[in-house]
Amino acid sequence: MADDDRAHRTSDAPADLKEEREAFVRQFLRRGFELTEDVLAENRALRDQLVRAQEDNARLRAALASSDAIRDLIRKIETLETERTELVSQTSTLAEASRRSEERTSEIEQELHDLANLYIASSHLHATLSVRGVVRHMRELLQQLLGAEQYAIFVLRDTDRAVVLTGEGVDESTVVVVGEGPIGTAIATGRSRVVEGPPQPPGSLDSPLAVIPMRVRERVLGAIVVCSVFEQKERWAAVDHELLDLMGAQAGIALVSARLFAGVSDARTLLSGLDALLAAPSAPSVVPPPMDPHAQER
Amino acid sequence: MAEGSFSCLVVEDSPMMRQLLVFALARIKRIQVTEAEDGVDALRKLATNRYDLIMSDINMPIMDGLKLVKRIRSDANHASTPIIIITTEGSTEDRQRAMALGANAYITKPIQAPQVIQKVKELLKIP
Repeated sequence: MADDDRAHRTSDAPADLKEEREAFVRQFLRRGFELTEDVLAENRALRDQLVRAQEDNARLRAALASSDAIRDLIRKIETLETERTELVSQTSTLAEASRRSEERTSEIEQELHDLANLYIASSHLHATLSVRGVVRHMRELLQQLLGAEQYAIFVLRDTDRAVVLTGEGVDESTVVVVGEGPIGTAIATGRSRVVEGPPQPPGSLDSPLAVIPMRVRERVLGAIVVCSVFEQKERWAAVDHELLDLMGAQAGIALVSARLFAGVSDARTLLSGLDALLAAPSAPSVVPPPMDPHAQER
Repeated sequence: MAEGSFSCLVVEDSPMMRQLLVFALARIKRIQVTEAEDGVDALRKLATNRYDLIMSDINMPIMDGLKLVKRIRSDANHASTPIIIITTEGSTEDRQRAMALGANAYITKPIQAPQVIQKVKELLKIP
């Protein structure tokens, strides 16, 4: 009944109300359409805004990541710089240690060479029992090892004079009075005299570069005199002093031994005599006769 | 001779100097040394052996070092063997004579072992 009423009332509505109703519906629909359009437009705008926001976000994230990367790189660079500084320092320390090691190796090599020189000098001095052989070795030592160009070996004659046993570049007729001049003083006192500093310019017998007394125990038998050295020798080396001291201590003994052996007519008698000497409770001291530069070689 | 080793002939009339040179050369690893007492002895050894290096004194009896160098350079087997001359003379003239005859290096007495070692290593290209 109600529905019929409503249907009856609608169909009975005046025409202007129908138009008004249709107009209203049209307007309503239009407004709804417009509203929908607005909503859609707003939706599109919001979507665009969202896309832009997302793009900005991505860009900002990338920028942020890039900054972080840069910061990381900077931190790594700083760490590497620190390591590099440490490595340079360690390398410098190692290089210094290596340099000291090389220097020490060179020093040791030089010491070995010097010791070899001294060993060879000593062994050759005592390698012969002939006076001529000992003198030859002494000359070689002075020339080849010491670099002496002008030299003389003096031996005592008559306790107050010394004569030349052998020489090179000097007057071999020179006679020195014991106690006079540098050579005579060295023989009298038993003390060596070596001019320090570069051994140039050349000296002479009156002003030698080196005078080394030849000793057998407390007795001085003569002197080794160096007047000049070869031009390429710029200065005395430490081993030169050692060599001169060795010659002073050993050359006299070598000469005396050779002289004694030369005076023995029968070597076998000498050797058997030595056996007896060694077997005796106390061996007598042997005073060698004065050196004679013209003694015959055995 | 062992692989990678070098042979050296030392020609020197003085036993003392030979001993010094042998000692100096012994500081170099892989060096084997043969000694000759004079130039004639050296030529005898060179006739039957080949050497990587020859060291010779100049002032020797019978045949001096300069004559020996000349003979060595005329031998096809040793025409290019390095030669070191050892002498007491420090003059430029003797050095030039030795080099003109074919010597490769020059050492003056009194010899220093480090100097000998350095020259030998240079000529044999030993580090």
